[in-house]
Amino acid sequence: MASTACFMIVSRTDIPIYEAELGSALKKEDAAQQHQFILHASLDIVQDLAWTTSAMFLKAIDRFNDLVVSVYVTAGHTRFMLLHDSRNEDGVKCFFQEVHELYIKILLNPLYLPGSRIASSHFDTKVRALARKYL
Amino acid sequence: MPAVAPRSGDAIFASAERVNAELFTLTYGAIVRQLITDLEEVDEVNKQLDQMGYNIGVRLIDEFLAKSNVSRCVDFKETAEVIAKVGFKMFLGVTATVTNWDAEGTTCSLVLEDNPLVDFVELPDTCQGLHYCNVLNGVVRGALEMVSMKTEVTWIRDMLRGDDAYELQVKLLKQIPEEYPYKDDE
Amino acid sequence: MIGVGKIKQYSNVLDKPVSKGKQEVSLSAFAFLFSELVQYNQTQVDNIAELERRLEDAGYAVGARVLELLCHRDKGNRRETRLLGILSFVHSTVWKVLFGKVADSLEKGTEHEDEYMISEKELLVNRFISIPKDMGTFNCGAFVAGIVRGVLDGAGFPAVVTAHFVPVEGLLRPRTTILIKFAEEVLKREARLG
Repeated sequence: MASTACFMIVSRTDIPIYEAELGSALKKEDAAQQHQFILHASLDIVQDLAWTTSAMFLKAIDRFNDLVVSVYVTAGHTRFMLLHDSRNEDGVKCFFQEVHELYIKILLNPLYLPGSRIASSHFDTKVRALARKYL
Repeated sequence: MPAVAPRSGDAIFASAERVNAELFTLTYGAIVRQLITDLEEVDEVNKQLDQMGYNIGVRLIDEFLAKSNVSRCVDFKETAEVIAKVGFKMFLGVTATVTNWDAEGTTCSLVLEDNPLVDFVELPDTCQGLHYCNVLNGVVRGALEMVSMKTEVTWIRDMLRGDDAYELQVKLLKQIPEEYPYKDDE
Repeated sequence: MIGVGKIKQYSNVLDKPVSKGKQEVSLSAFAFLFSELVQYNQTQVDNIAELERRLEDAGYAVGARVLELLCHRDKGNRRETRLLGILSFVHSTVWKVLFGKVADSLEKGTEHEDEYMISEKELLVNRFISIPKDMGTFNCGAFVAGIVRGVLDGAGFPAVVTAHFVPVEGLLRPRTTILIKFAEEVLKREARLG
């Protein structure tokens, strides 16, 4: 598993609606915040890139030291952002695709307001399990 | 004499015009969502859903009687079976099982074998008292009232609340004997 | 005997597979439900415009979900990035899944560059509702306009979408046209993408 992996879901209005530190490395207090900051800073790149391809998986779009930012954009422009140190692109792709399916199920709930925070603990558990499997 | 009721609504459903269940499910979801926004109180939402169902039931009974060739069921037991096997099937494409009769034969349960209203619904913490499918109570109550059966319909089990099935209890309060014509509208 | 339903119980909805979209209900069940939606909303408004806006809102919630579901299930996880692509997605994929057929026509407006029209001789939601005379131009198609707007907006193509009755020569009933007027930013982006 990747030692560093920070995952964030950003709504189409640029609001983070889910985030998780997924790496195996020991967590430092301020690391998570820094990771999320880096991801947020990459949103501008995503914004332009998203219109140049119809693929959802945009692969690695940005770098920060030895860390890579990989991105997946859904049909409704919800963005999955992953900061990671692994070089396993196929794994990252699988991870995104399965999270996408989970996200669709969250969205299909009429009582979930699109773009609002994903509070389901089952979602969190499943995302973490997928990270262990693929990253 | 009442005609023999069909034992299944399969043929009626198969020959009826149908729509994608997702359109139905999502539209119902949009209605529930609107009610929650408008009414705020979960109890009020439950009431409104029941009322909508009642309105539907009152109107749906004619189509039901016409298509199913059931003339009126006299017996409550027979009625319950017809709702479960023909009624649900004819409109929603699913059936229910009639069970848990009381000794007097005036209370029973309809256990749904599938429920097209609830795909991927999960009650958020703020809606814990919501009976998401309450429209069904109203439909059953409204339709039965049109065939002179006053009933009370309540949820006994609700999978959205963690139970293992959807179970509606139907209790016959009063059966008004049909002795037409009455004179009041002359 | 304790009755037990046959519904497969999942410990959580996230364990349940996404539906394949093959399940159906009767048209009358949908018609009854839809007519309750309209009647309830009538009690919440003072005028027709407001009623149409509320129906559009209800439709929008459906459209936002349909976009994400269908691009995943029916389009193999491809996004639409171009104007004609998303319009054809609405006219074909969305219509087929929700209404059982592709829409009768998709046309570009003749007077304005930013307008497109999807027309249907008998729009599903207008088939079973007769509109009282005192409600004038009210069109239940506002709900479908909302679905269309939900899909377009979600995909990054904001637009004003409205439903109109259009009389057709030789036909007893008017057809419904869903008029789509794209926001300026959409056309600018299109021009940029070339």
